Amino acid sequence: MPAQSVWIIRLSLAWLSLATLIGSILLVHKAVDLQPAMWALLPLHFETAIWGWAVQLAMGTAYWIFPRHLVGTKRGPEKLVWWVLILFNTGLIILLAGYLHQSVLPLKLTGRGMMTFSVIIFGISMWSRVKSYSSHTN
Amino acid sequence: MPKVTRLFIKSGFIYLFLGIVMTLVAELPQVNTSALLLPVYWHMIVIGWVTQVIMGVSIWMFPRRKRSRENIESVSVLLSFWTLNTGLILRFSAEPFIPLFHGNSAIVLVVVISSLLHIAAVFFYVIEIWPRVFTREKVKRKKQ
Repeated sequence: MPAQSVWIIRLSLAWLSLATLIGSILLVHKAVDLQPAMWALLPLHFETAIWGWAVQLAMGTAYWIFPRHLVGTKRGPEKLVWWVLILFNTGLIILLAGYLHQSVLPLKLTGRGMMTFSVIIFGISMWSRVKSYSSHTN
Repeated sequence: MPKVTRLFIKSGFIYLFLGIVMTLVAELPQVNTSALLLPVYWHMIVIGWVTQVIMGVSIWMFPRRKRSRENIESVSVLLSFWTLNTGLILRFSAEPFIPLFHGNSAIVLVVVISSLLHIAAVFFYVIEIWPRVFTREKVKRKKQ
């Protein structure tokens, strides 16, 4: 498994743990009213579960498992995927901060922008690896 | 495919079926409880189906340092399956009734146990998978 996939998958496991913790707190809060402000955590639960866990795990696994190039670097531009990891996770953290802190700074927009940019880079770097090794390639 | 993977995927199919049936029920004009069912069917699909299939397939496909029977069916994997599914059953049997019986001690107890089981399931899964996410270079270095 390449180092990029190792860290993308490990980060997705960390986000899964956080998403589960927040979800469990919210479930208990639903039954016993822990703190009125607790519902502010609901969008954090969605974002961490969907983007942090499911989407990121799929990205890490795809980078590891998709067919490799037969010439040049096996998995394409390796440094770009480190940038995907950094931009995606920093963007997600900024997005979560945007939900918690309603400041004048457009935190949510910045976070979403970074995540979008990272997904575009990921798509570009993976596009040529969506292929068949057979001679009858499509 | 290891037995525990089959357990994850088959129970995943059951939750997918229940989830999709519940979305259908929630659409019926005679049903006035769509809001109560919404978190139930979303969690059936996202945890019950998607997450369980991811867990089952990753336990099967991710590389193991040692290829032995006890590594395939490790204690943490089985604990992850049983805690997750017990937690989900408790959750789905209590969650729709929370607004109707708010503060009821029996419901609160079931919800708290369910939440703890969800956390435990993820903990056991991460315990299993984390050491299996490694680079080939690391293994080579250890062998030398």
